[in-house]
Amino acid sequence: MPAEPVAVVGIGQTKHVAARRDVSIAGLVREAARRALDDAELSWADIDAVVIGKAPDFFEGVMMPELYLADALGAVGKPMLRVHTAGSVGGSTALVAANLVAARVHATVLTLAFEKQSESNAMWGLSLPVPFQQPLLAGAGGFFAPHVRAYMRRTGAPATVGSLVAYKDRRNALKNPYAHLHEHDITLAKVQASPMLWDPIRYSETCPSSDGACAMVLTGRAGAARSPRPPAWVHGGAMRSEPTMFAGKDFVSPQAGKDCAADVYRQAGVSDPRREIDAVEMYVPFSWYEPMWLENLGFAADGEGWKLTESGVTELDGDLPVNPSGGVLSTNPIGASGMIRFAEAALQVRGQAGEHQVDGARKALGHAYGGGAQFFAMWLVGAEPPTT
Amino acid sequence: MPPVLRAPLVVEFPFTRSLGPVQSAFLTGLRERTVLGVRTVDGRVLVPPVEYDPVTADEIRDLVEVGATGTVTTWAWNEHPRPRQPLATPFAWVLVRLDGADTSLLHVLDAPGPDAVRTGMRVRVRWARERTGAITDIACFEPYAGEPAGPPHPHSGSFPEPVTGIVAPARLDYTCTPGRAQSRHLAALDGRRTVGERCPSCRKVYVPPRGACPTCGVATDEQVEVGPRGTVTTFCIVNIKAKGLDIEVPYVYAHIALDGAGLALHGRIGGIPYDEVRMGLRVEPVWREGSRHPDHYRPSGEPDADYDTYKELL
Repeated sequence: MPAEPVAVVGIGQTKHVAARRDVSIAGLVREAARRALDDAELSWADIDAVVIGKAPDFFEGVMMPELYLADALGAVGKPMLRVHTAGSVGGSTALVAANLVAARVHATVLTLAFEKQSESNAMWGLSLPVPFQQPLLAGAGGFFAPHVRAYMRRTGAPATVGSLVAYKDRRNALKNPYAHLHEHDITLAKVQASPMLWDPIRYSETCPSSDGACAMVLTGRAGAARSPRPPAWVHGGAMRSEPTMFAGKDFVSPQAGKDCAADVYRQAGVSDPRREIDAVEMYVPFSWYEPMWLENLGFAADGEGWKLTESGVTELDGDLPVNPSGGVLSTNPIGASGMIRFAEAALQVRGQAGEHQVDGARKALGHAYGGGAQFFAMWLVGAEPPTT
Repeated sequence: MPPVLRAPLVVEFPFTRSLGPVQSAFLTGLRERTVLGVRTVDGRVLVPPVEYDPVTADEIRDLVEVGATGTVTTWAWNEHPRPRQPLATPFAWVLVRLDGADTSLLHVLDAPGPDAVRTGMRVRVRWARERTGAITDIACFEPYAGEPAGPPHPHSGSFPEPVTGIVAPARLDYTCTPGRAQSRHLAALDGRRTVGERCPSCRKVYVPPRGACPTCGVATDEQVEVGPRGTVTTFCIVNIKAKGLDIEVPYVYAHIALDGAGLALHGRIGGIPYDEVRMGLRVEPVWREGSRHPDHYRPSGEPDADYDTYKELL
């Protein structure tokens, strides 16, 4: 029996900000879930199961969100489960939900991811000192900056490429009412003059710390037929993992990322992603990861990703817009960031992205990664139902 | 075989919590000696109150004040109180259904012994002398022989100067034992030698060793001394002080492939101006008395390594 086609019929986000002191975590997730239901014109009774994701427990000290948030998400009496995959969790949570629909386990599933970074300290959560191990000495960006330098050495990319990404994403965020950073006076000169934190990464090339949640309602053909607005159809979805550190790991272009993308393209019947995909929402926590992922995801040959960025191809009005929402560089509730990528890709093919809509977007890729490039999750969504 | 090492690992953090409207009213109420519940769609009164109806999922905001007296619905005797539990003397954990509530609240009962506790006994709140808007504003429950409180009555939930957030300190105490592979590695470090383990399948040398090869999935055992010299494969210049680290900025944080190792480890580069560090720089460890790991690495004076010799180790 072929799998049930999966449609995204409801999407909801909170306005992402540095601190949502007015709501509890329950109130925060409720806001996103309610908006997703409203978008789908469904009620709590229409939901058959809930799949939730969040950042690692230490990041905000909530160990069992599936227990604590069942009331707020209308999950009482229904199956509810939690997904864990570090920073990629928002993506893998959506994929677990999609698989439940595809397998006809449940007809309509609410999936949600969140984080209130203001209630803890992610940097603390990432750097617990372990006895007998040599402590790491560099802070958040210190983990990523050496990989960026390796990319620059490998490709000969000019030093300005990172600032171009940051300038683009922050301008895109101005068109997205849910984005955290709205820097109305942003200029390229300001990005390039911002302090160098972890050389070669500047302050303006790093992601913010945000509070926010994102939710989606996924359903099959019957549910999609009742949808009041055009659905986004899942054409392919995959997850891959590899150890965070091992001999032979390519930190610049991890094999698990390549394999994950190839699996998604195969499922979706995409042979030339650069030509066939109209918009990409990728997980770019530091600006240089845009050119790195362009290569890893097959949009550019090895060593050529930065040329797409430099020539404007990834701008909102370019040939392959990347992060029209403003991306992780403008909004980063870590536990939700992956799902926001997936949801923004769906908004594009539904034609519901508002001011940051990519004209005529028919196929879009959502991408998430986490755990020091240990986990990858991606989906490809289209405006038309899948043909196979 | 070196002795098994052990060390305490304490994970501790003061998480903050924004309360939202319902928990804010509940905790502020306790500060004012008022116990609030919330009425569900089907008319029950939940204490403590919740924001969303557990049956219908509706947002519920109809707050009611219930009594500070109630009935024990079940209990368990705690003979050995632990640090930071509500009472220092032996006590009973109790579920108390307050007069006017339909659910029970978990708290503690101050009683002389288990013989003095029974299901169905009447109790009342003993308020803490100093109250801050926390569940500990109820110091405990105590036996009570007076009249029950009347039915619940509506309450706006509004108080002057409401509590809107709390700090929820969390602490986990672990004992950490590093295991066979790492213990051997640490014992060698005490003699200022760096020893890794070679995978019998892919032949790569893991430093520090983990006892198994993460790609081949087989145990590693063959001991291989690497270094002491190595090559800077890539690095960054850290310009901001990390919390809790006593290192003057700027400094260089580098990935260093020790000679013979299959992957790079991380370390600080010293003994050279930070802006002269480069990929391919040859370095050697600098040890410091009283520290098990090298304090940093400094240039060894050899010519830089050719890119092709370390590009697979980036």
